[in-house]
Amino acid sequence: MYLARIALLAALLWCLTPAWAADEAAYVRIAEPPDGDTLDGFEPGKLVYAVRPGPKGDHVHVYVGGEEVGILRQLEGSYTLGPLPPGRQTLCVKVVNKAHVPIGVEQCVEVNVE
Amino acid sequence: MPENLAYALIQLVHNFGAVAVIGVPAFALRAEASADADARLRWLVGAAWAAQIASGAGFGAVSLHYYGQLPDIHGVAVGALYLKIACAVAGLTLIAAAGARARGSSAGRGRLVWRVLLVLGTTALAAAAFLRWFS
Repeated sequence: MYLARIALLAALLWCLTPAWAADEAAYVRIAEPPDGDTLDGFEPGKLVYAVRPGPKGDHVHVYVGGEEVGILRQLEGSYTLGPLPPGRQTLCVKVVNKAHVPIGVEQCVEVNVE
Repeated sequence: MPENLAYALIQLVHNFGAVAVIGVPAFALRAEASADADARLRWLVGAAWAAQIASGAGFGAVSLHYYGQLPDIHGVAVGALYLKIACAVAGLTLIAAAGARARGSSAGRGRLVWRVLLVLGTTALAAAAFLRWFS
């Protein structure tokens, strides 16, 4: 009987989950640099971002050229990029869960580094 | 969400395994148990290390199942993960070797085994902190 009550409560919580999820649609917005911008490779550039992790996300990882370069636990702010190699570079911010697995919510911008 | 439940259940096993790989050697060093009890405690630690390996792999399996990829860890976190795996393998190897040579083994050697197991457990638990926060 006790187990049945727990199962019923779990089922009820399960049914309610999509309602919360809809209210908290996850997103990543990179405000700076804009896509296609040109950066000076010797000047530390800034990545300005805002994130809503949603019900599945926890924090974000920053990637330059596919390599993880930073972990951000603030959901809005800026990250100082280190020296970047010249050429086209892809900067990405990805929402990850508590186990550090990207959940598919991300934004990437391409920049030219001179 | 089902993935959170899966992660939580695996974390449950991992946490209690961590308690056992440190708590049992610490208890054995203080208790000075009989040879039989000592052997049973060793196998308990062996089961705990096996649970650590299985649950550690379980985190990866849940991630693969729900997101199609493993946790994205780099640098210090990867080093910490390798250290944890090395501790688990060393712990299991030591327990197997101690079990095979239990007959005729001295009390001093038995205490040395417990000390090494305690160091391995403590090292793995310390590494877990770096794996958690440098990922």
